[in-house]
Amino acid sequence: MKNTANNKDYALLSYHHIPGVHNIDIFERAGGYETMKECFNKEPEAIKEEVKLSGLRGRGGAGFATGVKWGFFTKDRNAKKYLLCNADESEPGTFKDRYLVEKNPHILIEGMIISAWALATQKGYIYIRGEFYQQAMILERAIKEAYAKGYLGKNILGKGFDFDLYVHRGAGAYICGEETGMISSLEGKKGQPKLKPPFPAIKGYRGLPTMVNNVESLAAIPWIMRHGAAAYKQWGTEKSPGTKLFSISGDVNKPGVIEVPLSTSLKDIIEIHCGGMRNGNKLKAVIPGGSSAPIFNAEDSYIVKMDYEDVAAKGSMLGSGAIIVLDETRNMGDVLKWTLEFYHHESCGQCTPCREGTGWLESVFKRREKGQAHKSDIDLLDKTASSMRGQTICALADAAAMPTQGMIKVFREELETYVSASTKK
Amino acid sequence: MTEPIKTEVAKTEAAKADLVNLKWNGVDIQAEKGSNLLKAALDNGIEVAHYCYHAGLSIAGVCRMCMVEQDGNPRAFPSCNATCGEGMVIRNDTPKIKAAVEATLQFHLLNHPLDCPVCDQAGECGLQDYYMKHGVYDSQMIDKKVHKPKVQDIGKNVMLDAERCILCSRCARFTEEVTHTHELGILNRGDHAEITVNEELKNDYAQNLVDICPVGALTSKDFRFKQRVWFLKDVHTTCIGCETGCSVKVSQNKNGAYRVKPVYDHDVNGHWMCDDGRNIYKHVSSPTRLSSASENINGLFVPVDELSIQSKVKGLKPKYILSTGLTVEEYAQFFSSLKGSKVEVGLYTLPNLGADFDGILKRGDKNANLRGAKAAFAAAGFDSTQEGLDKILNSLSSNDVVYVVIPEILYNEDHFNTLIKKTEKAGMKLALTPGETLSTLRTFNYLLPVPSFLEKNGNIINHQGLSRPLRAGLNYGETSKDISYYGKWVNV
Amino acid sequence: MKSPEKSTEKTPTTNEPFAFSAANLETYKELLTRYDDVESALLPVLHLAQEQTGWLAENVITYISNLMSIPEIKIKEVISFYDMFYDVPVGRNIVQVCTNISCSMFGGREIYQGLLKHFDTGYLTPTRDGRISLQKMECLGACELAPCMRVNDDFVAITDLTSAIHKLEELP
Repeated sequence: MKNTANNKDYALLSYHHIPGVHNIDIFERAGGYETMKECFNKEPEAIKEEVKLSGLRGRGGAGFATGVKWGFFTKDRNAKKYLLCNADESEPGTFKDRYLVEKNPHILIEGMIISAWALATQKGYIYIRGEFYQQAMILERAIKEAYAKGYLGKNILGKGFDFDLYVHRGAGAYICGEETGMISSLEGKKGQPKLKPPFPAIKGYRGLPTMVNNVESLAAIPWIMRHGAAAYKQWGTEKSPGTKLFSISGDVNKPGVIEVPLSTSLKDIIEIHCGGMRNGNKLKAVIPGGSSAPIFNAEDSYIVKMDYEDVAAKGSMLGSGAIIVLDETRNMGDVLKWTLEFYHHESCGQCTPCREGTGWLESVFKRREKGQAHKSDIDLLDKTASSMRGQTICALADAAAMPTQGMIKVFREELETYVSASTKK
Repeated sequence: MTEPIKTEVAKTEAAKADLVNLKWNGVDIQAEKGSNLLKAALDNGIEVAHYCYHAGLSIAGVCRMCMVEQDGNPRAFPSCNATCGEGMVIRNDTPKIKAAVEATLQFHLLNHPLDCPVCDQAGECGLQDYYMKHGVYDSQMIDKKVHKPKVQDIGKNVMLDAERCILCSRCARFTEEVTHTHELGILNRGDHAEITVNEELKNDYAQNLVDICPVGALTSKDFRFKQRVWFLKDVHTTCIGCETGCSVKVSQNKNGAYRVKPVYDHDVNGHWMCDDGRNIYKHVSSPTRLSSASENINGLFVPVDELSIQSKVKGLKPKYILSTGLTVEEYAQFFSSLKGSKVEVGLYTLPNLGADFDGILKRGDKNANLRGAKAAFAAAGFDSTQEGLDKILNSLSSNDVVYVVIPEILYNEDHFNTLIKKTEKAGMKLALTPGETLSTLRTFNYLLPVPSFLEKNGNIINHQGLSRPLRAGLNYGETSKDISYYGKWVNV
Repeated sequence: MKSPEKSTEKTPTTNEPFAFSAANLETYKELLTRYDDVESALLPVLHLAQEQTGWLAENVITYISNLMSIPEIKIKEVISFYDMFYDVPVGRNIVQVCTNISCSMFGGREIYQGLLKHFDTGYLTPTRDGRISLQKMECLGACELAPCMRVNDDFVAITDLTSAIHKLEELP
């Protein structure tokens, strides 16, 4: 794929055009790890302040300001605590973190070392989804290289600062992308989310303060520290500053990952960066932020700007930046069915409304296959989805409910026809 | 091993001084600062639906039934995961919460079988209870339910019905946190999640699992199908199984006792009791239980008039061997009836069985009221030691009548037989027994029934020196008032 | 490992005790150095055991339970929770077919069903020659390749059932 959008001056994919940049020497020749070295001469608090000023928002999906999250972390530098990188990228449609680290693992490692210095975490883990085996190996090799250079381990570059970093592979469970589910999983348990409070920043992995950040958030830190918060804010909007990776799949000519400033229009992303609609078909709908995000019809898709606030204003969410493009040949009933099958399969099973609700939502489609679904089932879907919201430990129930209700709102008639077309009279 | 009871005592004492005021649905309540919010409501008599919360276990927060709203907080949250603070204004009666709880109950019932008519939990089932209050009466669930194994014997007299399980995780937390035996877990994700036993239950507290299961997923094999719970009445008493003295309730009807369950006792047993204690009632309505005074005629015990026994023992010198199972009141009555006589009295102490302490509740010393017995002996100037007992045994002659109070539960018959052997020289041997007619008793000339622990009122002193009551159950009100059955033989 | 189409019967476990190979025992020791407690190493240790034996039978669970002092039930919980840990025997090659939105748009479901039919097998059930186990998966995180498969450790882009069969016939 040609990344027409990936300007070398952007923050995240700026090294991607360099052949062999996964090698530490090539990465360093291109300027890698310089920012890290500079940061060791900066006060940790100054680094935290810069990140806060940059307005960087967590790229895992929730979009919570990274600097603010860091502010909740204990300032006691001697206290034992952990930095956990969320590379469990499992939200359907999302593959940006994979694309980022498989070509350039060192940008993440550099970002993590700077963050560890700022947050005074002595140990870090990159929790990567089990399916990303080769990517885990790439990260392992890169970490080994960084150890060899003295960027990781004891007394890094003579600064009296210790930071050990390891890759930890998951084993196939969407819920481990939820930060407390990830912590449970890292602790060697089922990846079930934990009750909050306490929040991980206070009591996380092994009951100790733990900062969990997404790959893309951590990888943005070196650029922000090199060029400053003000430069980062040249892109995007006041509430959505910086650039963002978008994973685009579905009915476009060139699916893939792009880096563009936040607030780039979805129309430009589809038409310019992704080479337009496949087979010249007409756009029908877009899922703008991963499968949890309520769907946009064509009209909204063409006017929306891809930043946190505009996507929210139009009733959906930017999420992980996973854009699934659907053309006129797609049936929205199929899309909702596939979506609900996923949440049913992935519910961790601890909270009752989610454990039972996700199965119930999908059951309408199972009944349809037997010719036993009715038009009225769409109302039942809506009601069930509504009663699942805001009732559970984590957001998975909401993540199943939101696209259900969103789909009903936009494509009710199509869904009613879909479920009742084969109904036995 | 943990000692949760002791730390809880310490915590409560420190916190007692620090009470805060809260409002729950407009009602003023008080609770210890920082204590569990749901518990505070329950302790104040407010009904809050809940399945996964149990005061004796860690917080799971998964059933989502105890959701509340707080002034100033836009998000509803489970009260089991919140702590009490001054001035909190909490509500669970708002339309939003009511609708949520109703929906969540519906979710609980989605995959629950409708086999209430054959379920032992019926009548004390969390689902039934809350369905009456929050239920939606037109079931929208027309889909096939997820099927799971129905009847599994998972050991230690516990039956598992995985289909009835609502995955509250209380049982898995119990085997992890209380017994540390880790037999139970929840396998799989989503609605395939299922309570699973690794091999079989191996802990000595397994019946507590039946108690804490809020539905009919874990039932007692012993109790299964024996009685409908609404026909039973509970008597709150104390376990006589060992010197721990757990507070318990014994469920009875006019035909006898059917089960023993623990009663929360902060200072003694907390929420639990051991499986051995579950059996302490079995001799009470046993068919081999002695019902009237009996005479040994060539090894067969035949009912006899007490007066005729009195005539046989007249003139003989009475010597008593008491058990450690009398109540404080019985000891007092007995020793007061000795006034002026020269009766010798010794104490038979049950030997230790198993470990001194299993780290949870069970103790090797099976003498339920050893402290009470020793105090009574000392107060009356008698020797309660083994030496004192030996002295009496060694001095027995044909001029003596020996009265032996049989321990209510004999864990080690061999040990007791050694004692019996030593009474052979006595001219006449009488056993006063609150238990079953054991073959051991064949060497006695007469047997006299005395009340069991379920047939008398009084107190016993446990190993901590704490006094706990024994209470007479159904149908035993008449005999329980007169406790002269031990002492009345002194002055015959 | 849990699937909506759990069709695989668990075969009786072997009585042979399992043990890590000398090399894997070294790896195990190295893994422990990465964590501040033993429990945290469970997922990597299960991955390691599965690499050695293919699937996680009772004897493997017993061995790991003793080795790491983790109750067996906890290990069973973990194995059952994650799609990539197998509590049933599997073929030499694991083939995961994505059936999530983007891949289903391009025939992922038909490809999975077609492969089951072609190899005359079911979810995870090894083919008769023991070569392949097919696993229906949710989003594999490679949607630009849709329809996408994972063959052992690698993502493979396919175009249709024929190209998928062609790829799998090459497997050892």
